Amino acid sequence: MTLSDKKYAQRIQAAFAKYPDKRSAVMPLLYLAQEEYGWVSPEGIQEVAALCDMDPTQVQSIAGFYTMYSEKPKGKYWLQVCTDLACALRGADEFYEQLKAELGVDDGGTTEDGLFTVEHVMCLAACDKAPMLQCNFHFMENLDMDKMRAWIAEKRAEAAKAKK
Amino acid sequence: MTHILLRGRDIPDIWKFDVYVKNGGYEAFKKALGMEPKAVIDEVKASNLRGRGGAGFPTGLKWSFIPQSEPVKYVAVNADESETGTFKDREIMETNPHQLIEGALICAWAIQAKAVYIYLRGEFWDLAHELDKRIEEARQAGFIGQDIQGTGWSCEVYTHLGAGAYICGEESALLNSLEGKLGQPRVRPPFPAQKGGGLYGEPTVVNNVETLTNVPWIIANGADAYKKIGTEQSAGPKIFCVSGHVVKPGNYELPLGITLRELLYDHAGGVPDGKAMKAILPSGGSGPIIPATNAVLDTPLTYEDLGKIGSILGSASIIVMDETVDITWVAAKVTKFFKHESCGKCTPCREGTYWLDKVLDRIMAGQARLSDIELIDNIAKNMQGVTLCALGDFAANPIIYTIKNFRDDFMQHVQKAEAKPAPKTRQAAPAGD
Amino acid sequence: MTNTVKIIINDQTYEVPAGMNLVDAAKWYADDDIPVFCYHPKMEPVGMCRMCLVEMGTIEKDRATGQVVLDENGQPKVRWMPKLQTACTTTVSDGLVIRTQTQQVEDARQNVVEFLLTSHPLDCPICDKGGECPLQNLTMAHGPGVSRMEFSDKMRLDKHVPLGDLIFLDEERCIQCARCVRFQDEVVGDDVLAFHERGRSLQIITNSEPGFDTYFSGNTTDICPVGALTTADFRFGARPWELTEVPSICPHCPVGCNISLSTRLDRDFGGKTLIKRVMPRQNEMVNEIWICDKGRFGHHFSRSEDRLEDPLVRERSGSLFAKPWADALAAAAEAFKAAGGDVAAIAGSGMSNEDLWALRQLVAGLGSRRLGAWPPTHAGAEVAAQVGVGAGTNLGQLGRGDAVLVIASDLEEEAPIWRLRLKQAADRGAFLLVMNARPTRMDDFAAQTIHYETGAAVQALQALKDTDTWKHLAEARNLVIVAGAEGLSLDGSRALAGAAANILLETGHVGKANSGLLAVLPGANAMGLHYLGFTPEAAMDIMQNPPKVLIVAQADLLLDDPAAAEWLAKVETIISLDLFASELTQRFAAVALPIQSFAERDGSYVNGERRVQRFYTAQGPMGQALPAWQALSRLGEQLGQGRAKLSAAAVMVEIAQNVPAFAGVSFKELAKVERQYPEVGGKDLYYGGTAYRNRGGLGMQIPTAADQGQTIPPFDVTTVETPKTRGKLVIVPSVRLYNRERTFRPSTPVHARVPEAYAEINSADAKKLGVQDGDTVEITIQNAPALRVRAHVNGGAPKGTVIVPRHLSDTAAPLAVTVGEVSKAEG
Ligand SMILES: Cc1cc2nc3c(=O)[nH]c(=O)nc-3n(C[C@H](O)[C@H](O)[C@H](O)COP(=O)(O)O)c2cc1C
Ligand code: SF4
Ligand code: FES
Repeated sequence: MTLSDKKYAQRIQAAFAKYPDKRSAVMPLLYLAQEEYGWVSPEGIQEVAALCDMDPTQVQSIAGFYTMYSEKPKGKYWLQVCTDLACALRGADEFYEQLKAELGVDDGGTTEDGLFTVEHVMCLAACDKAPMLQCNFHFMENLDMDKMRAWIAEKRAEAAKAKK
Repeated sequence: MTHILLRGRDIPDIWKFDVYVKNGGYEAFKKALGMEPKAVIDEVKASNLRGRGGAGFPTGLKWSFIPQSEPVKYVAVNADESETGTFKDREIMETNPHQLIEGALICAWAIQAKAVYIYLRGEFWDLAHELDKRIEEARQAGFIGQDIQGTGWSCEVYTHLGAGAYICGEESALLNSLEGKLGQPRVRPPFPAQKGGGLYGEPTVVNNVETLTNVPWIIANGADAYKKIGTEQSAGPKIFCVSGHVVKPGNYELPLGITLRELLYDHAGGVPDGKAMKAILPSGGSGPIIPATNAVLDTPLTYEDLGKIGSILGSASIIVMDETVDITWVAAKVTKFFKHESCGKCTPCREGTYWLDKVLDRIMAGQARLSDIELIDNIAKNMQGVTLCALGDFAANPIIYTIKNFRDDFMQHVQKAEAKPAPKTRQAAPAGD
Repeated sequence: MTNTVKIIINDQTYEVPAGMNLVDAAKWYADDDIPVFCYHPKMEPVGMCRMCLVEMGTIEKDRATGQVVLDENGQPKVRWMPKLQTACTTTVSDGLVIRTQTQQVEDARQNVVEFLLTSHPLDCPICDKGGECPLQNLTMAHGPGVSRMEFSDKMRLDKHVPLGDLIFLDEERCIQCARCVRFQDEVVGDDVLAFHERGRSLQIITNSEPGFDTYFSGNTTDICPVGALTTADFRFGARPWELTEVPSICPHCPVGCNISLSTRLDRDFGGKTLIKRVMPRQNEMVNEIWICDKGRFGHHFSRSEDRLEDPLVRERSGSLFAKPWADALAAAAEAFKAAGGDVAAIAGSGMSNEDLWALRQLVAGLGSRRLGAWPPTHAGAEVAAQVGVGAGTNLGQLGRGDAVLVIASDLEEEAPIWRLRLKQAADRGAFLLVMNARPTRMDDFAAQTIHYETGAAVQALQALKDTDTWKHLAEARNLVIVAGAEGLSLDGSRALAGAAANILLETGHVGKANSGLLAVLPGANAMGLHYLGFTPEAAMDIMQNPPKVLIVAQADLLLDDPAAAEWLAKVETIISLDLFASELTQRFAAVALPIQSFAERDGSYVNGERRVQRFYTAQGPMGQALPAWQALSRLGEQLGQGRAKLSAAAVMVEIAQNVPAFAGVSFKELAKVERQYPEVGGKDLYYGGTAYRNRGGLGMQIPTAADQGQTIPPFDVTTVETPKTRGKLVIVPSVRLYNRERTFRPSTPVHARVPEAYAEINSADAKKLGVQDGDTVEITIQNAPALRVRAHVNGGAPKGTVIVPRHLSDTAAPLAVTVGEVSKAEG
């Protein structure tokens, strides 16, 4: 599949409809590419470039500037844990260490089963609900390791079931 | 007190269009449409409303800079909210979104804008998609689109998602990002309000979410009523984001002018576990850090008073630290943030944040020397006032003020390091040639 | 300069043009070199590096009266800004006050240099830029004496990143000034470079396919203020301070870019002089400070193994033997004597004016006037001599209110620097109209594009009359028409030049600077050929009626004309003057005389804007080769035509006396220079880059007939029939900048970018022929060997037309538009 797939047509059109020039749609379209390929892959870059009438170099540049575009393949669940000051004051650093240990990966790593990628990120504007993280762009707040373990187990079970 | 901004706390369903309208929603917009655009600007000017995004610039004055002769103008709503410790705009948009939309529309009418772009940080993914629905409701009701309320004036409202870059909260970087360019700040002048400086080169008002959310109330109740809230120079209500070592972290909407003590103890419940309060960052990671002395705690939270104690109100994100916190660690943490978020465009910020981080890593790794403290102090000072945008200054603040106000914390690292056997000899890099 | 403002720099008042950039104004008017890294006078300021910080204020004026407020000493009161300001982002305005030499400013500069050095490697001793490096120089001038950065804290990055075939990036050395990125975007219009990541991780990348592939990439290495970008050609080639700079003129196209040949005595070349690199030399009227990559990397032919080093004489056995000059000249003289005046010459446009004059004198002395200009593809020179762009024309001045029309030319391929400068004219607001039978790169920058039917250029031009487009042209303050000959016969190109001239005449755009015709002619000296009496018509006549003895001077007939072998066979004796041991020489020459390339001798060319420009001897000759003028003039002496000339300068004296166009021209005049804005190439390399200051001369422009006030009657524009296809396809030869011409082949660094021989076929035609993109096809044309090329079916060719680029293989493509058949071939 590619971005030329029917299922994206309406969203692509909606993105272009917002702005007076094509180039402005590059950010929304990069999100679509990421959705399609699981990351901002070289094919995704080329397709977005063609759609926005830009040189692929410029699209890569945009993809590289922002942290929410991943230029590397990542796990099914992309966990971005805020370890910034306000969260850290409420135990986010320890939480993150434990989470990494639980999953057996380093910062930025992906679990062997390809399910989880973890990385630490800067403030996510949820400092009053620390520890918190963002999983595939959805917030999970007021966390502790018990909650996390249960959640991880649930996701693993789901994946195992899906395999069968 | 009843809330003006966080009205969702008084009327939980006010995020719904009909509930909002039932409670007087969009009446201010209709009223504004009956006024001359200039009269709307004058009313906002008279209210003394100042920008809630950090810089505190008078809002009405900003609107008045827009050259009316230009055919195309824009409003950009700054919903990038990325400052460490800031989470107020998010609550507004989650619980009272129509008031933001209404405020933005009033601004758009006042400057006769063609479109409003709400720039949300990418992490507000779910929120942005909700907001799209609220915008659609307002459009269905005839508040957005062609020939609004029969005035002949047309205006669109769109959301735009960022993708993880603090710098895109800086207004000119925000505009670049919206245009699909690298989110780096622009040279100013021309300023966004001027021809050539705004979105697609057209005059543009950039305002913070909270700022605009004040506007419907001002138009509905008049500038005089608004000025009665707060102090002479700092009018109106303000949302204070309280985080860190307090019992009840969260947002507090209170009139400007209450003291830190009232906010942190009466409202946020003070420091947990009976610990003493050591330090306060009154403006997120970027503002000067101050010791929590009695004098500080008795300072009214206003633009003018915080300046007097060597800090700033900024976006009023107050991070509290108890007595157990090593302020050196705070400096290192905040420095990591700015190193990560420096856009890289200008030299002192790009290189300075990298260098500061390296030295602080050494200090935190137990290899601190007295000269390292002088070094980071000096690097930070060399970054001040010379960068393209204020991020460079923001990055310098934590270093300069932690050393100034909490030198002892640094000295402890030095003493600990000196007590250990001498580290491997460190090789200084030769100079340029 | 009408509008001026008063500014104060370091307590001195200067009157400067309103709207000028402060860095430029300080440099030009106050001789104050404000250090910069990111600012470049040819690009928009970005205020990134922060090196140009100065103290800035304004003179206080009383609001009510507008009077300057004075302080207690009676001096104007200055309101100083609290922070230092970047000079590069400041436009001068009345009452602006700056200080550039205070301690505060000096500290700020030192801090910026220190910041830059924190992550810059200290590999100056092995860096190509060492010795001419802005960062090195500014470190010496403003940098801190010692580093406070721990060595182990420095960034470790990739030092060898090929951005393409020609340019390498050293990531550690890059200081993120964005000059290269902005050059590609603003100046070239190919935004194939960009930053990736952010903060200290910011790096230059390219993600285009193929990488960093533009004709202008080399210029980025000149403006890069550090050694981060180097060329494949010069990388580790020599140290800048070992090099001798010799002013020269690029021999590859009609633009006539001013270049500097950097030479040194080279161990790898037997200790003799060798060109190590080609650099741009500033001439604001011609190429500003840019050159294209063909000019930069296309010098290797001068030291090609293919060079002809000895005179050759064909013996009765039919073989050629090396002979001393005297013998070869004697053999040639014999042949001329036997010709009884049935003599003709064909000269290529690599010949200098001096060579051409000597050749003309020789032929005239033998009683003939048959002087052919090669290749006989464009007839615009004679028209350009009458209504060409007016004296004083500077394409860099075209902008809002002006109009440019490009027709029948793929300008990017034929004259890259004109394309670069006209793209910028369009950016400045000039109305750019591009008319071609097919899409070209220039379309990207045009306000309007018109695609006409192949061959119908004249009709398309005439059809403009009374359209809205016509208004843009007619009402423009200045109008330049750039006319080529693609898709046209020689007669067709004459008609097109005439039709263009008629528009210029009708709209009053002749005889003045920045207006007139610019003929896109082949080679470096096509206008020189014209002024010295060599015409393409004569060449056609020679091809049709071959003489007994033919002199072929620096013209690669066999590679240019598929029919050449056939008509050359009819010539009794061929005397060739050649740079190379070419096939022509091997197969046909009775006597072959080795001549020197542009780099080995003095001489002059006339560029497409009729600027006579001088080049100088940069390196020693190859073998026994002589300058062509000298060989010819000695031959003349043998034939009793008077004493041989002793220097190129002396030949020019004679030209000036005899050819009215050259009246007043002398080598001394050609060598004159004056101060140019912006002033580059001084010790402040950080300002303009390493482009050289012009010390070899700015040249002299030959006035047109219109410039001299002559009334020019309208040109006769007989529309020429386009070739009848009768079921065949129209074959249109085109020009590619990178090709396999003998003067470009030896430039190995560029090889990968020379396209494989191909033909562009319209998709409808391809379908009919059963040909797919990438197939091998055979093109058969009457009287010519069949061409085997790769088919490109990509929308580049109009229906019924096949575009065949010339010089991509050893089989010549047709000289002019013709008809032929295409069929799919195996392989
Ligand atoms: C580095 C940097 C980050 C900023 N981030 C934000 C932000 O996240 N939200 C915001 O409203 N303003 C932010 N600002 C301030 C904006 O540049 C601008 O002043 C503000 O949006 C103006 O709106 P206001 O007048 O309503 O406050 C930031 C400024 C800088 C220099
Ligand atoms: S101060 Fe930092 S963030 Fe601002 S322009 Fe400079 S490098 Fe970018
Ligand atoms: S900031 Fe002015 S020269 Fe770079």
